[in-house]
Amino acid sequence: MEHSKQTQYSSNEKKDSGSVLNRHFDGMVKRSAGGTARAAAAQPPGAESGSHRPVMESWREDRTRSVEDNEMSLPSLAAAYTTILRGLGEDPQRQGLLKTPWRAATAMQFFTKGYQEKIIADVLNDAIFDEDHDEMVIVKDIDMFSMCEHHLVPIFGRVHIGYLPNKRVLGLSKLARIVEIYSRRLQVQERLTKQIAVAITEALQPTGVGVVIEATHMCMVMRGVQKMNSKTVTSTMLGVFREDPKTRDEFLTLIRS
Amino acid sequence: MNDHCNVKVNDTVEKFHCNNGFSDLSIDTKKSERDTSRKEDEDKSYLGLHVLEGAYTSILRELGEDTDRQGLLRTPLRAAKAMQFLTKGYQETISDILNDAIFDEDHNEMVIVKNIDMFSLCEHHLVPFFGKVHIGYIPNKNVVGLSKLARIVEVFSRRLQVQERLTKQIAMGISEALQPKGVAVVIEATHMCMVMRGVQKINSRTVTSTMLGVYLEDPKTREEFLTLSQNP
Repeated sequence: MEHSKQTQYSSNEKKDSGSVLNRHFDGMVKRSAGGTARAAAAQPPGAESGSHRPVMESWREDRTRSVEDNEMSLPSLAAAYTTILRGLGEDPQRQGLLKTPWRAATAMQFFTKGYQEKIIADVLNDAIFDEDHDEMVIVKDIDMFSMCEHHLVPIFGRVHIGYLPNKRVLGLSKLARIVEIYSRRLQVQERLTKQIAVAITEALQPTGVGVVIEATHMCMVMRGVQKMNSKTVTSTMLGVFREDPKTRDEFLTLIRS
Repeated sequence: MNDHCNVKVNDTVEKFHCNNGFSDLSIDTKKSERDTSRKEDEDKSYLGLHVLEGAYTSILRELGEDTDRQGLLRTPLRAAKAMQFLTKGYQETISDILNDAIFDEDHNEMVIVKNIDMFSLCEHHLVPFFGKVHIGYIPNKNVVGLSKLARIVEVFSRRLQVQERLTKQIAMGISEALQPKGVAVVIEATHMCMVMRGVQKINSRTVTSTMLGVYLEDPKTREEFLTLSQNP
């Protein structure tokens, strides 16, 4: 599996010389490199292992849903939405709501389409190039739309990504595609930030990666505490971005401007 | 009182009361078919919660998620409660929320409350749309407590809505409660169903307006409202 090859490379060769994955992630890397067969077996989301699967490994899960799965689950999703409409006291037979269960079901499948795609195979599409460049590359203001996994209400904001290439650069739109694949899921902003950073690290083995997300959570704005202007900012700094304050400063300054 | 209104006042007031082509929409302002006691409402909503929870659990499974993982354990309950909150406007009526906050005041100049934040749910996709509401009215001897205008927005927006209907319902609600000389409502909103999915146009905004009474008849009054409610 391509996953295992790359993690072995990063854990064995890069570990001592300014490690790619900083010590924070070492335990996770070793575990997955050592037991790839076990990881492969545990790959499909087993209901039996759900609660005691270590949290750190959840980034790795490719819950691959297929287009056929989508088609098959559409009637039950639509039925669930019809139940919801009735449960709220609405009349599902009135003109405006007649096709709403189907539209809402398709919309929800779209909002979770991140589960259908695989990072390495589909998204990156071999857009990794050898380039003798070792200065910071930043792609900022990537619009991000996700769903809060606690209330099933949208989260939206902007993602800023920076990385220091180590002889290999990534096609720029692929950074935005990595954001798409992880954000179009039921998410928690902290986990989303980490997943994006770790995915880029895995794909490129750069010298460092920094990801900052600034988002508005509708669950806080539309309901609950109802603070309209609140924003949540999370960041993940890996490699030299974590170790060297000057690099981190440069990244944070450039994304502000 | 603006001189240009003097002649037409009576006609105008009568006109926009009779012009109730939207009488079917004003059903919501009266609770006639929903006259249940508060306790019954609470019981109903408790049962409703179980049903909603079951539906959300099934949705999570059908999307391919693992409903036993820690982050999703109580999500069906939270999502059901959230959805009930977002549609709480169905349980409220104009007369309840106005709370008799109508005062006799010899004022007949325009009153505007603008930049009222509004959050609603698109009835076609069950996805939020949100924006700002600007309301103006010209009182006819009685004024309403200012927060009541915002509360009227809340009653109608916390439902499964279409922006056009929402605008009209707010205007009709105010005109039925107060019988003012004119009511104007403008809503500018962003629809997540267009931004997060479908055509995916992030900066698009939808603007709808309803002008009743003297705002419909007199272009100068309308212009005054539109100028005063714009944010520079």
